[in-house]
Amino acid sequence: MGLTQILASILTALLVGALTRSTTRVYFLLAASVLAVYWFQPVVPLRSFDFWLPSLSLALVLLIWFITSQTNAWKLHQNLVGLSVIIGLVTLVDLSRYIFSDPIFTQTSPPQFVQFFLFAIISAVTILLFSRFSPTWKLSVVILLLVAILIILKSPNLSLQTSILFRTLANRPIENASALDLRWLGFSYIAFRIIHVLRDKQMGRLPELSLPEFATYVVFFPTLAAGPIDRAERFAKDLRADTALTQDETLLAGQRIAIGLFKKFVIADALALIALNDTLAIQARTAGWMWIHLYAYAFQIYFDFSGYTDIAIGIARLVGIKLPENFASPYTKPNLTQFWSSWHMTLTQWIRSYFFNPFNRWVRGYKFIPAWTMILIGQLATMLLIGLWHGVTVNFLLWGAWHGLGLFLQNRWSDFVKTRIMTTNPRLQTALQFGGVLLTFHFVALGWVFFALSEPSLSWHVLMKLLP
Amino acid sequence: MPSYTCPETLMRKLTFIVFILLANILLTACGTSNTDAPAKAVETYLGALVAKDADRLPTLVCGDWEDDALLELDSIQAVDAHLDNAVCQQTGTEGDTSLVNCTGSIVLTYDGEDQNIDLSTFTYQVVQEGGDWLVCGTR
Repeated sequence: MGLTQILASILTALLVGALTRSTTRVYFLLAASVLAVYWFQPVVPLRSFDFWLPSLSLALVLLIWFITSQTNAWKLHQNLVGLSVIIGLVTLVDLSRYIFSDPIFTQTSPPQFVQFFLFAIISAVTILLFSRFSPTWKLSVVILLLVAILIILKSPNLSLQTSILFRTLANRPIENASALDLRWLGFSYIAFRIIHVLRDKQMGRLPELSLPEFATYVVFFPTLAAGPIDRAERFAKDLRADTALTQDETLLAGQRIAIGLFKKFVIADALALIALNDTLAIQARTAGWMWIHLYAYAFQIYFDFSGYTDIAIGIARLVGIKLPENFASPYTKPNLTQFWSSWHMTLTQWIRSYFFNPFNRWVRGYKFIPAWTMILIGQLATMLLIGLWHGVTVNFLLWGAWHGLGLFLQNRWSDFVKTRIMTTNPRLQTALQFGGVLLTFHFVALGWVFFALSEPSLSWHVLMKLLP
Repeated sequence: MPSYTCPETLMRKLTFIVFILLANILLTACGTSNTDAPAKAVETYLGALVAKDADRLPTLVCGDWEDDALLELDSIQAVDAHLDNAVCQQTGTEGDTSLVNCTGSIVLTYDGEDQNIDLSTFTYQVVQEGGDWLVCGTR
C-alpha cells in the first residue's frame, strides 16, 4: 500500500465512521473493501490480471460464504443487499472500461464485459455445484484448493510455470515470464482467514455470519495488504456494535496512524537504504559493516511491518473495529518463546490453533516417541510451516529450521535451569534478563540472514563474514 | 431468529440486483465512444515507457511487440526520461492496423545533458486485441 492508498483509506474510514451506524456501516465497509481489492492490486505484466486476481478473491469469498452458511441464508434481506453490493460494484469496475478513458478502479483497463460475464457465470455455476456436495467433502476440497494456490504462489518455480502457462494461452512470449508475474494482493491473508472460517465450520464452532459481515471480514480494506489476521466472530462482534465515532476515538486512531506512518515511511524506509540485501551482502568488506547491514535489516523489517499494522489498527478504529495487536515489543523479549509470542502474533496464534495444537495431539498418539522428540518435531514442523508461508524456497526453510531448533533448545535449556539456577539476587536477575534479551535479539537477527537473502550460499557467505 | 424473505419480496430483491446490472450496462452505453482510442493507447505506452514501468508496459503492447518494447525500456533504464509535449493522433489505417503519429519528444537526460528523441519520426502501428488497442510496432 502506497501513501495515496493509505490516505484514501483514512478518509474513507473517517467518512464511514462519522456518518454511519452499525446497521448501514457494514454495507459501506463492504463497498469500500470491494473497491479496495481492485484498487490496491498492483499491476502485473499479464494483461487484465489486475482485474482477474481481485475478482477471484471475491468469487472465493462468495463460494466460502455460500458453503458455510445455512441453505436459505442468501434469501435474507441483509445477504441479498450484500450480494447486490458485491455483484453491482464488480460489474461497475469492469464496465468502467467503457466509461472512462483511463482506468480508475484498476491499474490497467479491465477486460471486456463478455469475458467478465462468462467469468460470473462460471463462478455462479461453481458455487451452485459446490453447494450440492456433502458438507465435509466440500469444506475439505476448498481447504485443499486454497493450500494448493498458496503453494503455487509461494513457490518461485511453480509460479514461473503458471506464468508460462498463462502467457502461452494469451499468445505472449514465454521468455519474459517471471515468478513475480502472479502478485495476488493479500492472498496469503485472505487464504488464512478463509481456512480459519472453514476449520471452525468443520469443528461446529463458527457462528452464523451474514454475507456482508463475512465478506467485509475477509477483504477488510485496512488489513488487505499486511494483516493482522483477525478472528471472524470477534470481527463480527465489533461490526454489530452500535458504536459512534467519538472525538477521543478519533484522536487515539489518529495517534496510532501517525505512529505507523512514521515507523513505515521515515524509520523503515531510511533503514532500507542500508539494510542487508543480496547486493550489500556481496559488497560489504568488513565484519563491522556486515553487522550494520544486519542490524539495519532487523529493525527495518520490524518498523516496516509493525508500522503497517499500526496504520491498519488505527484506520479500523475509525470505523469501530478493534483489530488484534500483531507486535508487542518483540526485540525486548528475554527468550525465543516470548519473542514468537510477540512477533506477528496473529499469524503465530493462527498456526498454533490450526497446526501446532492438532499436530501435537496427533504426535502424542504415538506413545513410543520420547517427550523431547515430540517437542522437537512439533517446534520444527511449526516453524518450517511459518517459513514456507513466506515462500517455498530453501532459504525460508532454513529460516524456519533455525527458529524451530532455537525454540527446541530454549525449551530444553529452560527445563534444565529452572531446577538448578535459582537466584533471588535482583542484580543477577537483571543481568540474566538483559543477557537473555541480547542473546534472543542476536539469535533472531542471525536468522534474518536466511530470510533477507535469496540463496543459501550467500547466507553462508554473510554468516562467515559476520565472524571477526 | 432470522426471518427468511417471502417469494414476492425475494423477487423484488432479485429484480433490484438485475436492475443494478442493467443500470451499469446503461452507464456503459452513455460512455464516450472514444474514437481516439489508438492515439490514446500510444500516449499511454509512451507514458509507461518513460516511467520505466516494466509491469505495465507488456499490458499495453501486442504479443509480437513485447520483446521490442522491453528492449526499448532497457535502453533508457540508465537515464532520466520524460515526455515533452507528446500528443498523438490517428493518421490512417492499414487493414486491422491503425497508424498513429505523434508530435513532441522523449527527453533523455544523462549527466545533466539532454537528448531529444523526436516522436514525429515514428509511425506507431496499433492493433485491437480483446477490445483493447495495443501498440504493435513502429515504422
